[in-house]
Amino acid sequence: MIFSLILNYRKTLCSGLFFVVLVSFLFSESITSSHLAVLPIFEWMETTWFGVAGKTWGALFAVVQAGHLIGLGVLGGSVIASDGRLLGLFKGLPMRLVVDRCHSIFTWSLGLLVATGVFMACGVAIKIYYMPVYWYKMLALALGVLFVFFIRKPIVDRDLDKVSPWLLRLLALSSIMIWFTVAATGRWIGFS
Amino acid sequence: MSNESDSKSRDENGAGIVFAVGIIAFFIVYWYFEIQSVRELLEMAYG
Repeated sequence: MIFSLILNYRKTLCSGLFFVVLVSFLFSESITSSHLAVLPIFEWMETTWFGVAGKTWGALFAVVQAGHLIGLGVLGGSVIASDGRLLGLFKGLPMRLVVDRCHSIFTWSLGLLVATGVFMACGVAIKIYYMPVYWYKMLALALGVLFVFFIRKPIVDRDLDKVSPWLLRLLALSSIMIWFTVAATGRWIGFS
Repeated sequence: MSNESDSKSRDENGAGIVFAVGIIAFFIVYWYFEIQSVRELLEMAYG
C-alpha cells in the first residue's frame, strides 16, 4: 500500500522533500560552511578573461549589461503573456499557442540572461559573493528553472482543457512570483 | 495504458500543487521580512 503510494506519487513526494531539505538547509549551520567553501570559486572568477575584461573595460561591461536587461525584459514579457493567459487574461488568443510560443521565447531569453549574467558576475565576483541578495537571486533562479522545466512544462504540455483551471492559475501565480523575485533581486544587486 | 497515464497526470498535478504552494509560501515570507526591514530602516531614519 505505502510502496504503491510512493511509486505512484514519487514526483509529488520528491517536490515536498525538496522543500523540506531546502528550508532545513537555509536554517542550518551548513549554509555558513557552504558559503565559505565557494569563496575560492569567486576569487578565481575575477581572474578569468571575463573577470579581467569586465573590470578593465567599463564599456564592454555596459554593453553586456544592456544585453542582460534586454534578456530580462523579454523573459518578463514571455512570463506575463504566458502566465497571464493561464490566469484567464487575453481570452481572444488560443491558450496552447500562447503557452508554446512563450516557452520558446522564455528558453532563449533565459539562455541570454545566464550567458550575460556569468560574464557580469565574473567582473564583480567578490562584491556579489558578500551580498545576501545575490544568493537569494540565485536561489530564486534555480527554483525558477526547476519549476519551469520539471513541474510547469509537463503539466502545460498536456491537453490544457483537461487540466484544472485552478491548478493552471496556481502555476501561473507561482511562476510570476519567482520571476518577479529574480528580476527584483537582480536590480537590487545593480543598485547595491 | 490509460490507468498509467492517469496516475502520471495525478502525480504531476500533485507535484505542481506542492511546488507552487511551497514557492508562494517561501516568497511571501521572504518579501514580508524584506519589507519589514525597510520599514525599520525608515523608522530609524525618520522616526
